[in-house]
Amino acid sequence: MTSPKSARVMPPDVPVRIVRRHHALVRLSHWLNVPLLLLLIGSGLSIHWAAPVLVHAIDPVTRSKDVVGDLGVALDRVIPTAGASRDWIYDHLGFGTRNLAQVLSLHWLLAYLFMANGLLYLIGLLAGGGWRVLVPRPSDPSGALAMMRYYLGVVPMAIGRRPWPHPPVKGPYNALQRGGYFTVIVAGLLVVLSGWAMHKPSQLGWLERLFIDYNGARVVHFACMVLFALFVVPHVILVILDGFDTFRSMVTGWSKRVKEDSHGEV
Amino acid sequence: MAKSDPPRPATDTPIEVPGRKLAAQTRRDFLLFTAGTIAAGLGAWWLLPSAVRGRLPGSESLDSLAARGGLTSGRREALLDRTLTFDDDVAEALYSKDRTVRTYDKSEVTKIPNNYHGRTPGPEILANWSLQVSGLASGRMERITSAQLLERFKLHEQVTRLVCVEGWSAVAWWGGIRFADLLEAFPPAEGARFAALRSTVSLDGSGHPEPYYVSLDLGTLRHHQTLLATHHNGQPLSMAHGAPLRLLTPVKLGLKNIKALTDITYTRTEPADYWHERGYSKYDGL
Repeated sequence: MTSPKSARVMPPDVPVRIVRRHHALVRLSHWLNVPLLLLLIGSGLSIHWAAPVLVHAIDPVTRSKDVVGDLGVALDRVIPTAGASRDWIYDHLGFGTRNLAQVLSLHWLLAYLFMANGLLYLIGLLAGGGWRVLVPRPSDPSGALAMMRYYLGVVPMAIGRRPWPHPPVKGPYNALQRGGYFTVIVAGLLVVLSGWAMHKPSQLGWLERLFIDYNGARVVHFACMVLFALFVVPHVILVILDGFDTFRSMVTGWSKRVKEDSHGEV
Repeated sequence: MAKSDPPRPATDTPIEVPGRKLAAQTRRDFLLFTAGTIAAGLGAWWLLPSAVRGRLPGSESLDSLAARGGLTSGRREALLDRTLTFDDDVAEALYSKDRTVRTYDKSEVTKIPNNYHGRTPGPEILANWSLQVSGLASGRMERITSAQLLERFKLHEQVTRLVCVEGWSAVAWWGGIRFADLLEAFPPAEGARFAALRSTVSLDGSGHPEPYYVSLDLGTLRHHQTLLATHHNGQPLSMAHGAPLRLLTPVKLGLKNIKALTDITYTRTEPADYWHERGYSKYDGL
């Protein structure tokens, strides 16, 4: 029997109800993706500079000949810096220009690490059973529409102090989240396949043909990069809105949101 | 349920764990997470090209912090070099000598830029041109003119894609003799595994002579789609595309497809390669 005094110092060890959400390998590879993708995108942009993929006739004023250059010119008007404005993105988000040999070897190192990391992620998904909540379901299209309607209404309804219930969600993810995560996993696979199609088009001719031709693989590779960059924005906003439990679950693996009240919104 | 280490159930099955143990594990996981973030951040910093690091604030202190952890610039260069050789090994493992690289229809040819990194040699190089071949089993040095080449060897045509290390590519219609035929007619010395291909008429950006040289493995040169090209789009090669003779191999990056070829030397060890000396891969297999 403990005295009331010592009980205050050392409370009784009460059991806590939790769910195991993310396998250790899923957590590890999730976080490793952050530096890997940042460096892959940085070096990838610098490689792209050498021969841009989405090109047009040279603009007589800005001297830009590609989409990334145009966007750089637009950004330079908002955030002016010294230097050629058509290289703005390459200089600020990429690793600069005219350093192809250096960024190619860096990109390949990171690409091999990214593939190894992706393998860890897939093993973790299988071992932890996490894949089950990521596979699209027949109810997802209607569920995704309900979630979009909910998100669109959430701010106006809060201002008007009207009730705006969260659509019912079965399992840890709603249909929109599942769609998002599933798309990113598919994009991860596509970015690796299109990368190999570009890297070894002669030996892996079947892979190159999967993307129609060499330029098809380049466009897909570029599109996947844009998708990763776009995914990060709602991903980070929603995890902040959703609260600490969601962030903690990706560090520790467990969540206090047991089935009854789980409607996580990462 | 509250065992010391509960088995991993399906993701949405609630379990009960002792609060203190959970708190201790959580503390451990967050400490690991913090340490991992610092380590990964330093590692990522270390991998950045030095020009990028120099532009960022606090570069000197972070550099010295990384160096104290063993992440020196020398080790970075060694790692990137090792990456290139690893990737070359992967490429060599993927290579199959019997694989035919995708060919296209003549109607699918695209514009192909003149990507000479210096100035394009003028037509004066054609007057006294001959191909010099050494490192032969005969021990002799052969000099072969374009006329002799075309007389002696069968002309083959192929429409293949040329892929540049910069990322662009072009489908082009080439004609030329098979390198394998030359190897058969003039066999290399025993033990030769490589060839040094040179262009002594190559020029730098201001028009001064600057020889261009590439290393090629004999496996690549024996490939049935590796040509000594003399024609492009049904016409003799233009100066821009390497007249009078260039290498054309769809199993290697464009930079190995040397233009205005003047010398071939077969060697036992891998010869020097112009772009490898400038930080690119050595094998460059596609």
